[in-house]
Amino acid sequence: MNKEVIIKDLEEIVGKDFASNTAEDLFMYSQDPGASEPRPVDFVVMPRSVEEIQKIVKLANREKIPLIPMGGGLTLSGLVIPIKGGIVVDLKRMDQILEINELSRYALIEPGVSTGKLISYLNELYPDLQPAIPDAPPSATVVGNALIHGSGYLSQKYGNHGDMINGIEVVLPNGEICKLGSCSISDYWFSRGPIPDLVGLFISSFGTMGIITKLSYKLYPKPKMRDVVFGMCRDPNNIPNLVYKITYTDLAEDLLLSKTDKPDYVKDLILVMVFITGDSEEELESKRKMIKRLYRKNGAQFMNMPERTLKGLLQKPQFAAAAADFRKGGGFEYVGSFMPLEMIPEASKRAAEISYKYDIIPTQAIRIIGKGHCVMFAPTFAFNRADPLDRKNARDALDETNKLVLELGGIPWKSEFEGQKLIVEKMDPNYKNLLKTIRNILDPNGIMNPGNWEVS
Amino acid sequence: MTSESYQDWKDIVHRCFRCGYCKFTHTYSDFNCPSYKKYRFETYSTGGRMWLIYGLINNDLKWSQNLANVLYACSTCGNCTENCRFEKFNDFLVDIIEAARAEAVKSGFCPENQKFLLERTKDPNNFNPYGEKNSDNINLKTKYNLPEKAEWVYYIGCTSNYRQQDLRDATLRLLKKIGIDFTLIDEHCCTSPLIRTGQIDIVSDFMNYNINQINNTGASKVITSCAGCYRTLKKDYEKLGADLGFEVLHTGELIKTLLDEGKIKITSNYEKIVTYHDPCHLGRHMDMYEIPRDIIQSIPGIKFIEMKRNRNNAWCCGAGGGVKIGYPDWALEISKERLEEAKETGATVLTSMCPFCKTNLADANKEFNMGFEIIDLIELIDQLEIEVNE
Repeated sequence: MNKEVIIKDLEEIVGKDFASNTAEDLFMYSQDPGASEPRPVDFVVMPRSVEEIQKIVKLANREKIPLIPMGGGLTLSGLVIPIKGGIVVDLKRMDQILEINELSRYALIEPGVSTGKLISYLNELYPDLQPAIPDAPPSATVVGNALIHGSGYLSQKYGNHGDMINGIEVVLPNGEICKLGSCSISDYWFSRGPIPDLVGLFISSFGTMGIITKLSYKLYPKPKMRDVVFGMCRDPNNIPNLVYKITYTDLAEDLLLSKTDKPDYVKDLILVMVFITGDSEEELESKRKMIKRLYRKNGAQFMNMPERTLKGLLQKPQFAAAAADFRKGGGFEYVGSFMPLEMIPEASKRAAEISYKYDIIPTQAIRIIGKGHCVMFAPTFAFNRADPLDRKNARDALDETNKLVLELGGIPWKSEFEGQKLIVEKMDPNYKNLLKTIRNILDPNGIMNPGNWEVS
Repeated sequence: MTSESYQDWKDIVHRCFRCGYCKFTHTYSDFNCPSYKKYRFETYSTGGRMWLIYGLINNDLKWSQNLANVLYACSTCGNCTENCRFEKFNDFLVDIIEAARAEAVKSGFCPENQKFLLERTKDPNNFNPYGEKNSDNINLKTKYNLPEKAEWVYYIGCTSNYRQQDLRDATLRLLKKIGIDFTLIDEHCCTSPLIRTGQIDIVSDFMNYNINQINNTGASKVITSCAGCYRTLKKDYEKLGADLGFEVLHTGELIKTLLDEGKIKITSNYEKIVTYHDPCHLGRHMDMYEIPRDIIQSIPGIKFIEMKRNRNNAWCCGAGGGVKIGYPDWALEISKERLEEAKETGATVLTSMCPFCKTNLADANKEFNMGFEIIDLIELIDQLEIEVNE
C-alpha cells in the first residue's frame, strides 16, 4: 500500500480538508468510548456526496484496502474501529434531511443526520410527528442506530428501530448505487415491500455489505402529553408476567425496567417505568389508574419518584451517557442483548454475579421491544479509562456476559467482534454459508469492514 | 486560564466520554461549536481535544505542529462548558484547552501567528498585542480633565485604545456625562490574548504592574468596556492569586445600576430595530446576560429582537481564543454566520458589549457586505440624551 498515493487520491476525491492521515486524527478514530483496545487506522475521510463515496469505494477496490463506514461512532463496541486497518469513512458531513412526508409519515435522510438534528427539525416544523431514537447522546446518527437494530424510545409500541426502515440507497462494495424498498420502483420511500425484502441484509451487518447513503425512516404520531408511572417489583420471577400483562393492554408507549445494587436500599428491587401518553390530562389519569391496578394485581407496587428523575426520563434523548460517569472515568460499555422475555429473571441474576466477579456494581437496563416480542437486556459496565485493570475487567465481564446471553437463548446486540465470533460459532451452518456466499458475491475483494461477521 | 501544565488536569481529563453534547446548541438543532462545525473531524470537537490531551499526558501522542494547531483552532467560546453534562468537569473544559496550549508553547509548538501576540506585547515600546506604540493615556487624561486620584479607574483595554477608539471615547464621554469620579492609568495589556493562547510567561508581571497602577490612584473600583479585559481582571487575576483590593465592573453593570437607582434616565428615542450579540467573555465566561438586555429595554423607542441563538446558547463571533490572529479568514466566516442570524431578526443595528466582537463582526459586515450598523451598546447610549439625577 502506497500511503502517499492513497492520501493524495482521497484528497482529490473529497478535498484536502476532509481526508487525513495525521497522527492525531488517526489516534481519534482508532478508539471509541467503549472497552475495546485501540486498533490502527490508516486514513480518515469525510465525503459529502454519493459520488464521492463511489469514488472512495473504487479506490478501496483498486488498493484492496478496507473501508469502515462510520455514523455517530457511539456503538461503544468498536464497530467503527478497523479490525484490519483501512479507511474510516466518517459520514457526518452527509447530514441533510431530504424530505419529510407528513401524510405517509417518513423522513428521508442522509447517513450523517444526528438524532438531535432530526428531533429538533421535527419539533420546529412538524410538531405532530416524532422519530424513534436510541437512549444515546444526540450526536448518535439516526441511520447508524437503525442499521444496528437499534432500540430505545418508542420500541415497545413500534418495535426495534431496524424495523422502522422503509428503504435505503446504498453504494455497494463494487461502487454501484442500489435502491432497496419501494423507492426502487416508486418516487415514494414508504415501504420495504411488497417485493423481496433485501433491506434486512444491511441491518446489523456493520458496514460489511455497503455504505448506506440515504434511508427512509418511519415517523410516528406525537401525543401532546407524556408521563411515567413508576412501579417496583421485589421478585424478578414476577417480571415476565407483569410485562406480558402491561403490553397486553396497549397502554404503554415504552416500558423500561432497571436494576442496580447501589444504594443498598434498592438492591433487591426492580424498578418498572411505564411511559404513557395522551392528548389530555384525563386520558393520562385514566392510564395511570390502569397501570397502578396492573402493578397491584401482578406482584408489583406503584411508587412515587422525585420530579427530577421524572424530568430526566422524559428528556429526548435521555441522558444515558451519565452512566459513563459512574466511575468518573469516561468509559462505558454494555452487553445489549436481544432476549426472550421469559429468560429475564435468570439472566438478571446471573449477569449480576458476573458483575460482582469483576468488581462492578450490577446495573442493568431492560427495555421491552414490540409488545414483549423481544427484550433488550443490558448489563452495563462503567469503567475508568485511566485504569487499565478496570478496563480489562469491563472487557472480561462483557465477554462472560455475551456467553451467558447465548447460553440462555439470547443474542448479543451490536456486538464487538469477539462477541460476533461467539455468535457465529453458535449459528446454524447453513445460515453461515449463506452469509458467506452473499458477502463473497457482493464484496469479492473483502473491503467492507473486514473482521466483522467473519465466517471461516 | 492560568494553569501552567495540562498535567494539573490529568486526574479528570479522561472523564470525557466523547458523547458529543459539547458540539450542539441547546435544542441540538445545529452545531454550536465553531471549530467542530468547520473541521468536522471528531478531533476538532472539545471531546476530541480532551482525548488528544489525555493521549499527550499518557505519551500515546507526541507534540507536533499539527496537533498544536488542532488545539489552537478553537475560539474558547465556552459552548462546550454549557452543554457538557458531566458536572464538576464541564466547567474546566476551556481551562484544560488553555493549559494544553501553555504546554504547546513550552514544547515549542505555539503557532507562528499567535506568537506575534507575545512578541508585540512584551516589546517595551508597546505593551499591547497590536504592536502599537504604548499610550500612557496622559493626553486623554488632559483632554478629559481627569485627576490623579479617583474612586474609579476606567481600564480602557488594548482593543478599545488602539482599534476601537470610538468605544473608548464614548465610554469616556459617558462616564463624564454621568458624573463618575474616575481616572485612567498607564495601562499594559491585561494579558487576555496571552492567557487564551497559552503564552503565560509574562502574565504575572503584567498583572502586578496593572494592579499597582490601579492601586496608585486610590481607586476602589475598576470599570472596563471590554469583555475580555473584564474576564481577565475579574476571573484570571483572582485565579493567579492576586489580591486586587478593588472591585471590577463592566460598564454595563454601572449603567444598569444607575438606571435602576434612578440616577440616570435615557430620555431621547432610538427608533431602530436592534439585536444583541452576547460576547462569550461576558456571557458564557462571566454569566452576564440580562444586564445588556435590561439596558436596551430602557431605551425609549427601540425595537429589540433576539437572535435565535442567544444568551448561553449564542453563536460565537469567532474572534476569541487567538482565532482572529491565527485564522483570520475563518474568524470572518464565523462572524458571517452570526450576521446572517442577525439578518433573520429584521434588525438593522447589531449591538454588543465587547470591542473585540465589534471588530470581528464589523470586519465581516464589511467583507460580506451585510449592511448592518455594528455598534457597541455604550456607543449607542452615548448618542442618546441622558438625564442625570443627583
